[in-house]
Amino acid sequence: MIEVRHIKKTYGKKQNKFVALDDVSFTIPDGASVAILGKSGSGKSTLMHAMSGLDRPEEGEVIIDGENILKLKAKAIDKFRATKMSFIFQSFFVQANETCYDNVSLPLEIANVSGGQRKKKVIAALEAVELGDKIKSKAKNLSGGQKQRLAIARAIVNDPKILFADEPTGNLDSTTGDVIENLLFSYTKNNGTTLIIVTHDPDLAAKCDIQIRIKDGKIESVSEPKKTAKHLSVRRVQ
Amino acid sequence: MRLRDITRRAGRSLRNAKARTLLTSLAIGVGAFTITLSLAAGAGGRQYAEDIVNSNTNVNELYVQPKQENQGDLSKPKEYSDTPSISYGGGFSLKLLQQSDIDKIKKLDGVQSITPVYNVTPKYITREGQKKYQVGVEAFLNTLKQEYLAGSGNDVNRGDAVLPDSYREALGFSSPQDAIGKTIDVVVAGSIPGVADKTFTLTVVGVTKKSELAAVSGQNSVQAASENVKEMYQYAQQGTPIANAYTAATVLAKNQSDVDTLKEKIKAMGYEAQTAQDLMSFIFQFINVLQGILIGFGALAVLTSVFGIINTQYISVLERTQQIGLMKALGMRRRDVGRLFKLEAAWIGFLGGAIGSLLALAAGSAANPWIRDVLSLGQNTNLLIFEPWTFAVVIIGLMLVSVGAGILPARKAAKLDPIEALRTE
Repeated sequence: MIEVRHIKKTYGKKQNKFVALDDVSFTIPDGASVAILGKSGSGKSTLMHAMSGLDRPEEGEVIIDGENILKLKAKAIDKFRATKMSFIFQSFFVQANETCYDNVSLPLEIANVSGGQRKKKVIAALEAVELGDKIKSKAKNLSGGQKQRLAIARAIVNDPKILFADEPTGNLDSTTGDVIENLLFSYTKNNGTTLIIVTHDPDLAAKCDIQIRIKDGKIESVSEPKKTAKHLSVRRVQ
Repeated sequence: MRLRDITRRAGRSLRNAKARTLLTSLAIGVGAFTITLSLAAGAGGRQYAEDIVNSNTNVNELYVQPKQENQGDLSKPKEYSDTPSISYGGGFSLKLLQQSDIDKIKKLDGVQSITPVYNVTPKYITREGQKKYQVGVEAFLNTLKQEYLAGSGNDVNRGDAVLPDSYREALGFSSPQDAIGKTIDVVVAGSIPGVADKTFTLTVVGVTKKSELAAVSGQNSVQAASENVKEMYQYAQQGTPIANAYTAATVLAKNQSDVDTLKEKIKAMGYEAQTAQDLMSFIFQFINVLQGILIGFGALAVLTSVFGIINTQYISVLERTQQIGLMKALGMRRRDVGRLFKLEAAWIGFLGGAIGSLLALAAGSAANPWIRDVLSLGQNTNLLIFEPWTFAVVIIGLMLVSVGAGILPARKAAKLDPIEALRTE
């Protein structure tokens, strides 16, 4: 379970002070898919950074599995991210000059997973995103959709508990985007992974169990959890 | 993150920027090249000097000179001393060893023999039907390493002489072989008016190629049996105040272990004494200074390349901002990010060191025969000697220097804010 309590984050000083997050609180149950929905500059990305320990808000708590990660030391947060979280970005951030294998292997190396296990996991992750035949290809030779699939393989290789996706389909056409969405939803549902999608796309947000709307750094609304993903596609929120 | 994985990733990112990596490491390679060559030249020089000293001096030998007095205040007249000395203008004088000094030293424990150094400058050398030439005559030493064009130095007795090839030619012998067994005339002037010149007729038993020592001492004199040289010397000094006085003497110790104690004893008696070792250490010091200067140039090249590494690594950090941000988002620790960049610098240092020192090895090996020819060193003498440890020292040293240069860029990478780095434009 992820509990976000009274988070406040400001940028700048005095006259230039800008409140990015203002008293944000909500709770996410384990295994849920959550959309953080908001316009550009609404504070949705800042919220994701705070929840993943990349950023430190001035006030509030982010409690994951009973531990306030904002109180942890840098080393402990790094370890937390290396073992329990992973990320997918709008612009993929795959290493173009490296092979698919080396791209996916990076989180395992960071988490000190032994060599033998690493190989098994990397191949399994690449097969899960249907890139099993591209193990030795350089990432720069992949198409946009393949790159994002590679990024998903990198994100799921270490069996994270929480998967953050920042506009995962933002740089893709709708057909490819659908493939990516399906991959994300089916993986997280099958593995009980909490999926947190940051997006401004209401269609994508509608496919999630919970929608958190954010505007000007404040929570506008938090929808009630839906029972199954199937219903979500029919019943759009507002 | 494991060091092995970081090292592998560091190597991979360098391979992805091959041209830049190569150019940066070439800069450090210039330093490695210079340093390796200077170390090789130092090792070779020491080896060569040791060979020369060992083949030309006896380790049991001591070179004894009278202690020269402080010349003091030159503006004041000096008291006359009855001991023999060579006076130069302006109050300078060189004290000489007398026969009594020689006898005193001879009585010391451990002395096998003592031979005065005879400085003979004959009037001229000639032979029948030939011109007269200036010449220096030295006592023949069988420990001297020389190359013979004809004859040998195995059996030089009273009345025998060894000629350098240049005198062989000047004196009209058609070939080195032609000179063997023929006679030459060395004419020594009388010491005081009224004493006639004396001709010493010597038989040529050997003709030598230019000596290896010639490069060091410019030696190009006729060598005669020491008895003859002694006679010439005495004839030339006869009746003068410096008869039976010598600038120096060579003491031969009975055992090598006695040499140092003898040196102390002779010094205590008020003479200057130098062992073969002392002579060698002087030459070594000279070589070491030269080597130090060369290494200094190499160090300068390395210093320049340090800025190259810092620059390259800074650019690399800027280029890979997103990669660094991603790695940090994935939980890579600051220390490991820093290590990644330091290891990249270490790889550059390794490459530069390896390239530079291997080029030095190749160039040095190719140059050795040429140097041998130009300086007419003996066969199998290499002036550049590459010892395996120098490669290890140069490469490891340069890796450390590179890591040092990589510290600042590595710190910049480690400090990078992942949120900034991953912000999509």
